[in-house]
Amino acid sequence: MKLLAILICLLFTSITPASSADHQPANPRTMTFPALDFQIPKAERVVLKCGMPVYLLRDTELPIISMTAMVRAGSIYEPAAKSGLAGMTGSVMRSGGAGGIAPEKLDDELEFMASAVESTIDSDMGTVALTSLKKNFSRTLQIFSNVLLRPNFSESRVEIARKQIIESLRRQNDDPKEIADREINRAIYAGHPLGAVPTFESISSITRQDLKAFHRRYFRVDNMILAVSGDFDREALLTELNSTFPATKEPSGLALPDVPQPKLLFQGEVLYGRKDINQSVIRMGHLGLNKDNPDIYAVRILDYILGGSFTSRLTVEIRTNQGLAYNVGSRFDIGRRFTGSFIAETETKDKTTAKTIRLMKEIIGGTTKEPVSDEELNSAREYMINSFMFAFTSPASIVNQRARLEYYNYPDGYLEKYRDNIAKVTKADVLNAARKYLHPDAFKLVVVGEAAKFDLPLSTFGNVRELDLKQNIPTQ
Amino acid sequence: MRLILLAVTLLVVCATGIQAANLEDKVVEHTLKNGMKLLMVERHTSPTVSAWIRFRVGSVDERSDERGIAHLLEHMLFKGTTTLGTTNYAAEKPLLDKIEVVAQELTAEKAKRTKGDTGKIAGLEKQLATLESAAARYVIKDEFFELYSKNGGTGYNAFTSRDGTTYLISLPSNKLELWAAIESDRLQNAVLREFYTERSVVMEERRRSYDAAPENKLWETFVASSFLAHPYGQPTIGWMSDIENLTRTKAEQFFHSYYTPNNAIVAVVGDIDTRKTIAMVERYFGAIKPGKEVLPVTAEEPQQAGERRIELVADAEPTVIMGFHKPAVGTPDDYVFDVINMILGSGRTSRFYKKLVIEKQVASDIGAFDAPGYRYPNLFVVSANPRTPHTVKELEDAILAELDQLKTTPVAERDLQRILNNIEYEEARRMGTNGGLARNLTEYEATTGSWRYMIEHRGKIAKVTPADIMRVAGTYFTRENRTVGFITKKGGDK
Repeated sequence: MKLLAILICLLFTSITPASSADHQPANPRTMTFPALDFQIPKAERVVLKCGMPVYLLRDTELPIISMTAMVRAGSIYEPAAKSGLAGMTGSVMRSGGAGGIAPEKLDDELEFMASAVESTIDSDMGTVALTSLKKNFSRTLQIFSNVLLRPNFSESRVEIARKQIIESLRRQNDDPKEIADREINRAIYAGHPLGAVPTFESISSITRQDLKAFHRRYFRVDNMILAVSGDFDREALLTELNSTFPATKEPSGLALPDVPQPKLLFQGEVLYGRKDINQSVIRMGHLGLNKDNPDIYAVRILDYILGGSFTSRLTVEIRTNQGLAYNVGSRFDIGRRFTGSFIAETETKDKTTAKTIRLMKEIIGGTTKEPVSDEELNSAREYMINSFMFAFTSPASIVNQRARLEYYNYPDGYLEKYRDNIAKVTKADVLNAARKYLHPDAFKLVVVGEAAKFDLPLSTFGNVRELDLKQNIPTQ
Repeated sequence: MRLILLAVTLLVVCATGIQAANLEDKVVEHTLKNGMKLLMVERHTSPTVSAWIRFRVGSVDERSDERGIAHLLEHMLFKGTTTLGTTNYAAEKPLLDKIEVVAQELTAEKAKRTKGDTGKIAGLEKQLATLESAAARYVIKDEFFELYSKNGGTGYNAFTSRDGTTYLISLPSNKLELWAAIESDRLQNAVLREFYTERSVVMEERRRSYDAAPENKLWETFVASSFLAHPYGQPTIGWMSDIENLTRTKAEQFFHSYYTPNNAIVAVVGDIDTRKTIAMVERYFGAIKPGKEVLPVTAEEPQQAGERRIELVADAEPTVIMGFHKPAVGTPDDYVFDVINMILGSGRTSRFYKKLVIEKQVASDIGAFDAPGYRYPNLFVVSANPRTPHTVKELEDAILAELDQLKTTPVAERDLQRILNNIEYEEARRMGTNGGLARNLTEYEATTGSWRYMIEHRGKIAKVTPADIMRVAGTYFTRENRTVGFITKKGGDK
């Protein structure tokens, strides 16, 4: 084999001069390419005897199997006074041992096999993920199912997790970017569970019993979707999954709490965090839209043109033309269950803070006044259509994506129609989207830095409310 | 003990042989006559390809008046060529030349600091702004990016480290020729337009990444204090006054000295035909003339003869970084450090995690790694956050206790086997993405001399014995060889 490779090299070194004579290097602006046949990869959907949907994609390139369970849980379901409960549950499900096996033993067994099982719960999804060499899959699957359904929640590990979270709260104002990111989200989602931030008090009030109850309520076989990819034998895998997740009668019916949508209030506000630094962190934004809105395709195009690429309006003006920032951009985070957000961000030296804020608001507002140019529209469309295939580069990303579409109730054919929907967007659609979803006068504006050194007072942008960045966390 | 280990070793060497054949089968190597090295792997999982170009030049190669230039040049190489990024280079060039004359004069006047002529500075700044806006009329903004994006390119980026500078892109596999056309043009005809605006962007990058980020500021200070003679100590981005004094002329000189085909390593991984790819790369890059051989850095760090303690007072909670000088990648002791690194810092079974996070609970998080580069002797680094109410001192003592234990107590055979099992998994996993494989191929080829380092690594690790670990720990984990950096909270402990 190696010999063959050498032969090929020799062969081509000698052919090359002839070939370069009749094939001149092409001009990148005008060059054309051979056609590429790209079919959206599919994953098989199977339903286990217990009713759990499973997405399967076999791929034998690597001797590895990956698996993810997506569970309908999230911090949106935690009581305000226990903010942090979901995250802590997700963490201790894994760290606190499972299936009666002590934490240290579980860690040792997994890492000796070079297998991984990890669990997390974010705002609206709980996940337990597995990766394993094919040869260790069966044992790793048992541990996976124990973490998923039968965590120990070891008392001492609950206490360690609590102390760790408190330590991270203590450190949450060290980096000014972390402060600004947290505070803009909190301001946009004020009054909604998505805007809740754990506190020393909420974390201190959480008991082991709370974790167990939260887990028991949501982590059940009738409330999750599985995605499996890699080097497995289909029949053997299904047999194994059916015996690992048998059909069992749950003691009570599944009851997912009703969580309201955030209130669509658009009211400007200026929030200031005082930090002794030579560069200000700037965030601004408000609520956006969710995936069930037919305008999402126009909004994606708008997003790319305004602040989503290296040649976006915000980057070209603030970074490339004026050298005011290294990082600048904006993003519509299109909500899946709940109304999403629009946030623009940058960091600039103290004495160009107000200038940059004003410029950003002007550039963002500009999209609501004039249609984008043909070139801008074409660039955005071509990028989104031509790069679409990068969403499907690994078997794991393909099955996880399919499972996620079902989890969030995407319409049938969403992926299949995606490129056509992008191609249909017109300049008028983009202008309408900007007018509908961008309101610079109603931005929540967060600035972290040293106001005394700014080029203009922050009050130029509205009434300023100063954030309390003091930490009143007891040392024990 | 010794016998069992030997048996295990033999077994592993066998297994390594199989894996090695696998990777060795898949990598196709080709060296152009001008010295450019091409490494390819065919993967047909998706119709995509990743192409990485790595130049064997990083901030370690900078002279003291060039600090920051490798990184700023990396930014500048996104600005186009004599034909891309411009509507009319012939008209643009005279303006660029004038900009350089004025900007150099301005930089020189400002370098006089308080003795500079403020009237002259204001005049030059005005002149520069006028010239820059005149030149801007010819600029097509970030045309490389625009061309790649329209064609579906993703992850177009570059990074600079102490050891090297890398340019990367992923494309639909039918568009690989676009990469060859753009990158060969960039290598031969780059134009560093918009230089002085980009210099301001890099100053903002510095403020964002170091000045206003306490942990990174400590890191920068810690590394600089660890190296008195060797250029590994200087920050890749440069100190602020370094960046302020960089000029386009310096960047161009640096570009011509180091961006030569014989100093380049290319990896193309994905849905390709290696024979056609070789022909294409020959066609676009084959005629580029080789440059001078790049000589290694001659500075050697004198042996450290006592603990160095670096304090940063900051508006942030305490943190600790501890470093020990050690040999470069690929040396016999470096493999022992790889084992030590995994025993101490890798995963939930690591000693640091078990002892310091779970048992003593003095740390909230802790990790171990090698830095700041690999080509030259570097540091073994432990980085940790104390968990309140524990102090920096308590955390340091707990770390040192773990290091001391390595000197006196042999590591268990199961711990070594676990490490080998994890390397076996990594060997499989790293074949699974185009970008990851391209990264590894260019990185190892550049820093160790051959991508084959990856194949041989597990076998070398399998030969490391508990006695080796005790010897290496005893040799390097000494007070004399140690530098400790820590943050003291402003207004906190004195």
